[in-house]
Amino acid sequence: MREFLDMGGYAAFVWPAWGLTFVVVILNVIWARRSLARSREEARRRLAMRGGES
Amino acid sequence: MDWTWFHKLASPPYIYRLSATLTPWFGWPAAVALLVATYWGLAIVPADYQQGEGFRIIYVHAPTAWMSLMVYMTMGVSAAIGLIWRMKVAHAVAASVAPIGASFTFVALATGSIWGGPMWGTYWEWDPRIVFELLLLFLYLGYMGLHSSIEDPQRADRTAAVLAVVGTINVPIVHFSVVWWNSLHQAPTIMTLDGQKNMDPRMVGPLLLMLAGFTLLFIALLLTRLRAEVLRRERTASWIREAVGS
Repeated sequence: MREFLDMGGYAAFVWPAWGLTFVVVILNVIWARRSLARSREEARRRLAMRGGES
Repeated sequence: MDWTWFHKLASPPYIYRLSATLTPWFGWPAAVALLVATYWGLAIVPADYQQGEGFRIIYVHAPTAWMSLMVYMTMGVSAAIGLIWRMKVAHAVAASVAPIGASFTFVALATGSIWGGPMWGTYWEWDPRIVFELLLLFLYLGYMGLHSSIEDPQRADRTAAVLAVVGTINVPIVHFSVVWWNSLHQAPTIMTLDGQKNMDPRMVGPLLLMLAGFTLLFIALLLTRLRAEVLRRERTASWIREAVGS
């Protein structure tokens, strides 16, 4: 395990590169889902407002 | 020729429902492919004879660089379709993918920089491929900035689309930069022009799986963001009531 984490002396390069990629992948999933949730919420609010007027 | 499919694709309610149905079919295979490729690329493939364990950065650098170009082509082609056929959904696709492309272009630049440290002895070099990849990031950011700075949604779509279409010229430049110029960046390793294989076949497996995983992930992200865009753009349409379930 120690050896694996050490990456043959390249740990300081391999792990940040993989870590950054992992973080951005997860962030993209969160951003996309949040964007959809927000749009749905806005659409619901618009419908509710229009319902109140009529 | 039957053009029904084209008209269907231009219909926001149809796109909204189709995207919702398709998302898990791309999202879950993407997750499996990325996880398997991660284990394969980090733990199973043997170290490189020159770069040792450091070469494993290729498994995140090359796929994100591939994403930066593929997403841009998606954006450029959608923007062109939106301009030519005045198709609202096409503009929605272009607007949906821009932030995805920008984030992965940033990762491609950053992982390349990290890789350059130990292998080239420099984190940054004004090398053709790196410079044009940086320009790609600015094109994405320019599209997003331009789009959000124009109040009228249709004018925002069309103006930003012109930038996206003009910018597609940069995609082949990035791709062929290592062939056209004497570059510090290495030449392609999977597909070379003469069909010669430069990479150990054992190393290629996880790379191809990563490329597939990122492509599937991109489609799932696009479908999710597209639904959000379509909802945002269709302010008055009656189908929305059904779509958001209120």
